[in-house]
Amino acid sequence: MQTKNTQLSIKSYLDLSQLLEEYKGNHEENRTFALQHEAFKNDPLTLLYLWLNKNRFRVTSHLKSETFLTHFLTISTVLAFIFLLVGFLTGIGLLSYSGHEPVNIIYYLLVAMVLPVVSLLLSTLSMISDGLLSRFFNLFFPLHWIEKFVEFLPFDNKIELSEIKLSSSLTKWMFLHRIQLFSLLFSFGLLMALILMVMAKDIAFGWSTTLQISDESFQTLLASIGFTWQSLMPNAIPSLELVEISHYFRLGERLDNEMIHNANKLGAWWQFLAMTTLVYAIFLRFIVWIFSRYGYQRQLNRDFLALKGAQRLIKEFTTPYVSTKSPKIEKHLEIIPETEEQITETPHQGYPHIIGWNYSSSEMQLANDSKSIEGLSVETVGGRHSFREDEQIANSIDGTVLLYVKSWEPPTMDFVDFLEMLIDNDEIDEIQLYPLGTVGRYYESDAKDIAVWKRKIQALKVERVWVVDDAEQ
Amino acid sequence: MMQNSKNYPKFAVVGHPNKGKSSIVSSLALDDSVQIGDTPGTTQVKRGFPLKVDGKIIYELFDTPGFQRARRVLGWLEEQESVPADRRADLLKIFIAKHRDDPRFRDEIELLEPIMEGAGIIYVVDASKPYGAEYEIEMEILRRTGQPSMAILNLIGNEDYTEQWKRALGHYFRLVRTFNPIEATFNNHMDLLESMAQLKEEWTQPIKVAIDVLNGLHQQKIDQSVDTIVESMQKSLTFVYSKDIKGESATKKEKSSSQTAYQQQIVNYEKEREKNIEQIWNHRSIDKVENALVLDDVGLFSKESASIFGLSQKALMITGASAGAIGGLGIDLALGGGTFFLGSIIGGTVGGIGAMLGFNNLYEVKVMGKNIGHRQLTIGPMQNINFPYILLGRALFHASVIAKRSHALRNSVVLENEASYTEQLIDSEMRKKLEKLHLKLRNKDKCNEEIIEEYRKVILESFSNLLK
Repeated sequence: MQTKNTQLSIKSYLDLSQLLEEYKGNHEENRTFALQHEAFKNDPLTLLYLWLNKNRFRVTSHLKSETFLTHFLTISTVLAFIFLLVGFLTGIGLLSYSGHEPVNIIYYLLVAMVLPVVSLLLSTLSMISDGLLSRFFNLFFPLHWIEKFVEFLPFDNKIELSEIKLSSSLTKWMFLHRIQLFSLLFSFGLLMALILMVMAKDIAFGWSTTLQISDESFQTLLASIGFTWQSLMPNAIPSLELVEISHYFRLGERLDNEMIHNANKLGAWWQFLAMTTLVYAIFLRFIVWIFSRYGYQRQLNRDFLALKGAQRLIKEFTTPYVSTKSPKIEKHLEIIPETEEQITETPHQGYPHIIGWNYSSSEMQLANDSKSIEGLSVETVGGRHSFREDEQIANSIDGTVLLYVKSWEPPTMDFVDFLEMLIDNDEIDEIQLYPLGTVGRYYESDAKDIAVWKRKIQALKVERVWVVDDAEQ
Repeated sequence: MMQNSKNYPKFAVVGHPNKGKSSIVSSLALDDSVQIGDTPGTTQVKRGFPLKVDGKIIYELFDTPGFQRARRVLGWLEEQESVPADRRADLLKIFIAKHRDDPRFRDEIELLEPIMEGAGIIYVVDASKPYGAEYEIEMEILRRTGQPSMAILNLIGNEDYTEQWKRALGHYFRLVRTFNPIEATFNNHMDLLESMAQLKEEWTQPIKVAIDVLNGLHQQKIDQSVDTIVESMQKSLTFVYSKDIKGESATKKEKSSSQTAYQQQIVNYEKEREKNIEQIWNHRSIDKVENALVLDDVGLFSKESASIFGLSQKALMITGASAGAIGGLGIDLALGGGTFFLGSIIGGTVGGIGAMLGFNNLYEVKVMGKNIGHRQLTIGPMQNINFPYILLGRALFHASVIAKRSHALRNSVVLENEASYTEQLIDSEMRKKLEKLHLKLRNKDKCNEEIIEEYRKVILESFSNLLK
């Protein structure tokens, strides 16, 4: 079971981006999914994450995130190692002691304190700014230029990587997050070098500057640098006496006698340098790294929601699904086209029997007059007549029968039953079925209405039944 | 999704064969999969169309076959011993039970079954044809079911016998309404539902819920259509086709094949948008007759396309100039009028000239270095100022025709008479708003959520007007 506040990763972001390009589901499926995870109905991020996990298998092509992460992790690992190594080598370089001259702690302080503080300040400014200004602050980091250089290299997976589009804000936070991590590794390298050099060598630390700074002022400055650990580790703050005996000038080739006399005390500086590295280069960096991690995660969450198609998905999660469809699939009805078989265009002038299906007697009279057709007997069937009455008429007639029907009313099975009774009567030679239009249209029928009758009659396959088709084509 | 009890309103749409029962169901259920035909017996079995919200049924419509042997059914009922009115419906239940396996009464059983299970009756007649006494047999059977009922007058043909039908139907049905499923608007649909709610007191509330749900669904479809149009416009306006090339510059063949691929992609975006719009409005199986989108010099600069959806060079200059002048006026006002409206004049001139130049541009073709040893040919985005208007006009026209199309229609959709829509689609006010937005939309870097939202609002306003 997935817990709330799922930590989304760049992999899930890229996978969702790729999945949404290939598959979005439909409203019904997505709403059903959301209802199945009702506990997260107010947490769209978690819902998106769970939806991704459920549907990740639908990505048919190679996952771009894998290429990206392989490339990203390789570059990051190499860079991490380089930063660690550079930090270590810088420490070795700064602390290298030939025995002729003490190691000037000011150089070390510049790298272990001033440089990290400036870098942290730039990072903070980049974090709180946006757009161009933020990019400007990032220009000061070597990592920025290293990455530019790497981008310019013709890697095989270049094309695939260029398809991965990350927002400028997310790229910024990824960069800031990484720079804190690499800086942290650089500082670890520096600290490792310090510890190693202190353990392996007898280093005489000193301080020397062109500036006119008194020993007292310098000690006050050092004490203020170390105010955070002063109460916990007072020995890690250089005393005035240590500052005085460590102060040296480069003029002349030989060291001060007093300095040589107090050589055993000059190594005491290492505690201060170690604490400075720990607090300014490592601890503060760690704090900013935590912030950058938070900022990166927040931006990733925002971008997750801003992914193309994600809002639509969330809308479908939250909008009730309305369906009006039938669950039953209708069987397709094959319609056989009518032919010209058993069709006559003109009726006879007179018939022994004229029958009207669903007509009244007065309507029959009017139709006969209008069509100038005469009949020896005129009967009405269907309508309010009973089935038995119709049966009697069907069995009592002979010869040629004209059967009026309403062309606009399609043949029902009730009519077919009556027609079959006529067909069963062997005394009848021929049945002419005449579909009439409405009185309002002077009995003129629509061709499509007559076609329905023709199809019905042709389907019976009885040679004695004809259709009168006088519709204008 | 959740299932509910069977106590929701049900309506069986019944009647004589070929009187438009399936058309009415298709229109009310917003489903174009219902078989509709001139041949009697197109509907052979009853088919339920439930309105479901998250799986919960609000009401259900039944499409049924027409009466085939009504006289025999009534004859059977009359042959039975006379029973008091309160037990008349039981006779029909007995009829169903007795004849369930009798093929002669298959259609009657299919149509009577939902009624005997509590469905209200919606009896459909064609009021363009005269009333006949034979209908009284069907109406008599329906009366004997004891279920609440209403009649719908469906005018299929050109003649009108409405009054004649009303006089006859009034004897059998509490409510008689006219409804043409082919021409019915969304509001007509809602009015009919309100009438159906009056059939039974217990149905009033569920039908009211259904009306709210359908109103929400309608708005949802409008929003989805607008989102689809905006997304498609964005894609088409910003599309850049790129291809790696071997030499320092692109060959004629490389250029030509890339231009074809570029244009094809724009056409594909349009097809994809049309398909999505049709799916949103539940029109899954329609044939279309439409003019193709032509993206060459002829298509974009032709007088025909300019007069239909795009703008002529003169119209574009006026639109560009007025958009520029509005921008300039803003500066003038900000400076308290001290500029003697110089801002408006400059803005107008720049806008006008820009539009004039943009009219003759198609798209940019560039060759650029990608990284060491690689060169790339890129085509796009489309620079022609007419292009977004043509594209948007076509999109709005198509969407409005599809949104208004009845689900009962089975003929082809004709999308060729766009000219009659020109003024309704993009009026002068909309053009001014669009001019600025199209420029911003083209620029991927400058285009943000706010611009897209603003564009969405303009499209929504236009689309909503078209649907009124």
